Amino acid sequence: MKTPHLLLAMLAACLLLAGCGTRRAPGVEGDPERGKVALAQYGCRSCHVIPGVTGSETMVGRPLDGLAQRKFIAGSLPNNQANLVRWIRNPQAIDPESAMPAMGVTQNDALDISAYLLTLE
Amino acid sequence: MSLSRPALVVKTAVLTLLAAGVVAAAVGFTVLRSGWYDIGATTQHLSFVYKLLEQGMQYSVRHHAMEVVTPPLGQAEALRGAALYRDNCAQCHGGPGVATAAHGMSMQPVPGPLVDAARRWRPRELYWITRHGIKMSGMPAWEYHLDEAETWAIVAFINRMQDMSARDYRTLTATPSVRAGDQREAR
Repeated sequence: MKTPHLLLAMLAACLLLAGCGTRRAPGVEGDPERGKVALAQYGCRSCHVIPGVTGSETMVGRPLDGLAQRKFIAGSLPNNQANLVRWIRNPQAIDPESAMPAMGVTQNDALDISAYLLTLE
Repeated sequence: MSLSRPALVVKTAVLTLLAAGVVAAAVGFTVLRSGWYDIGATTQHLSFVYKLLEQGMQYSVRHHAMEVVTPPLGQAEALRGAALYRDNCAQCHGGPGVATAAHGMSMQPVPGPLVDAARRWRPRELYWITRHGIKMSGMPAWEYHLDEAETWAIVAFINRMQDMSARDYRTLTATPSVRAGDQREAR
């Protein structure tokens, strides 16, 4: 009688996961679900391949999968939420020659975007 | 049953296919007529819908651009194209270090950068897309707004974008505006 129990447990796990949506990484502010939509609405997906956001294959910017695992962003900044927000909002303030444009992302939207990116293990 | 075995097999196969066709058509019509597929641009396409539309677009462009003859595209054309690109294309496609206007960001599909366009498209295909536009994508046709030489100048510029840094792009597009309309009136 082990199999039905296992199946039930798996079903329960699926329902739980579905109910939660994208879970925020620990110690991170912002709403990752909103961030996922914001990534599309600021055109980020046009240069970056991002898991969970539909779009064309592109290698203009670096793919953002596994971002939570990276030690550095933009070549030199330690990867944490505060630095991600700074970089997303104004790349030229960190690297004046960066080809990544400032897209006019608001502080709140940058928080949500970084919250989503930090769920990408 | 007076039917022979092979005839029975054929009859069953035909009826099964017909039934499957009717069911598929009914499901398709239901999905269409119900309006369940969200046409809003704040939700994403289903991944397979996006891929299907994109693939079809690429095949169509390749097919239709086959007859286009590419003229020589040199430095002069590319330079002329820089100002035309800045005035007519950068609003939706941006450039190295330069953001699109707001309306270029939130379109579905997103117009996307053209710095890698030369890797994806031949010059004749870029010309064809610019001249004829792409249905249901937001890409307008420029046939009635830019002349031949202007369209090829833009292609020449886009073709060189892959080698441009943000600084190169700034320098090249810092030339005075050439208004297509003004030139046309003078002709």
